[in-house]
Amino acid sequence: MENGTISYTQLLREDLGIFRVTPDDKVPDFKAGQFLTLGLPLDSKIVNRAYSITSSPQNKSFFEFVIRWVRRPLPGRLTSLLFNAKEGDKISWAKPAGNLTINDTLPNGEKDNRRIVCIGGGTGLAPFVSFAQHLHDTNDKREIVVLHGASYVDELSYKDLLTGLQNESIEKGKDEWNFKYSAAISRPQEWFNRSWAGQVGRVETFLRPRDNGLSPLEELIGGKITKENTIFYVCGWQGTIDGVMDFLNPKGFVTEHDKREDGSFEVKYESYG
Amino acid sequence: MGMAEEVTLKPNYEKLCSKILNSDEHIRFTGFVNDKSKILHSEQKDNLDSLLNDHEVAMSIHYTLERWRKAQNFTFRLGKERLTFTEYDNVTLVTIPFKGTLLLVSTEPRISYDPIIEKINSILTDWEKI
Repeated sequence: MENGTISYTQLLREDLGIFRVTPDDKVPDFKAGQFLTLGLPLDSKIVNRAYSITSSPQNKSFFEFVIRWVRRPLPGRLTSLLFNAKEGDKISWAKPAGNLTINDTLPNGEKDNRRIVCIGGGTGLAPFVSFAQHLHDTNDKREIVVLHGASYVDELSYKDLLTGLQNESIEKGKDEWNFKYSAAISRPQEWFNRSWAGQVGRVETFLRPRDNGLSPLEELIGGKITKENTIFYVCGWQGTIDGVMDFLNPKGFVTEHDKREDGSFEVKYESYG
Repeated sequence: MGMAEEVTLKPNYEKLCSKILNSDEHIRFTGFVNDKSKILHSEQKDNLDSLLNDHEVAMSIHYTLERWRKAQNFTFRLGKERLTFTEYDNVTLVTIPFKGTLLLVSTEPRISYDPIIEKINSILTDWEKI
């Protein structure tokens, strides 16, 4: 394990926070969408847990994470320590790992120019914040759509950053930077969400066709989604993955886990439950 | 060969509310809400004016559920939450978790609560008979 410092903490709500870890040495090369294993001492042992990195691989100053403090049925050990930690506390970390990374080439070796649709449920948004910043920083010309699902409006972490990236796309034009962001709130009837005017329901409802035959996602991009023109990346609870595949399987989409004999696929996913 | 069929009984919230509301003269209001803030059923004594408007009722339910959710973070240490009281100058609010929902009861303030709670618990215990 390497050593670093918790250099920034920001609580978005009691159980949701943004954390930065600045390595003592340097941020190593990694791929957008990978995770980092963090470690803190507890009872003379080091407790480890992996968290998806939200910062861009081009950011060589620190790693950033958005972390949910799940407390039921039991509070997570490392996450509890993290939420008790102070800026300046030391922390250990292991090298980045994980396979939910951006596909740049097709099985035949050609460049993958398909539209990228990222679907994140809750803190499953994390790898796609890294995707978005990386694709922006590397001047990627593909169309990118980030969809985020949450129960409450104050769980829409990175709304400001992602809205900014979308506004930049509108200002520069899609030939320069082609990025869209939208979110869904699953408990719109609750008083706390009374100001919400966007998509309602679980995040996979972006894929459910309306009466006009187009899904909210297709209305957002202004065209039909096919397995030839779009690759999906999904991260969240297993229920979110299953919900997405319920819409995509009938359209002939296959996951990387079940890829065809020629190596082709249209969905990559990572579940955390 | 027959298949075993699991039958899940759902409480009759309408009858439960009515029975609880009429179990004691000091009870003003009863209602059940689920964990998504949906009021499953509620009833209020006919001769009383509401202390809160509709918007404030929704806000109050949100605060109550928030407090309930946070209280559950200690379940692994303290056991299940059974009852809460909040006594205001003008009213007392009682919440009791029941079958995945929350029973909300409001009463006149500064009364003897034990008999009321006993009656409510007795009705909830016998809910299958209602």
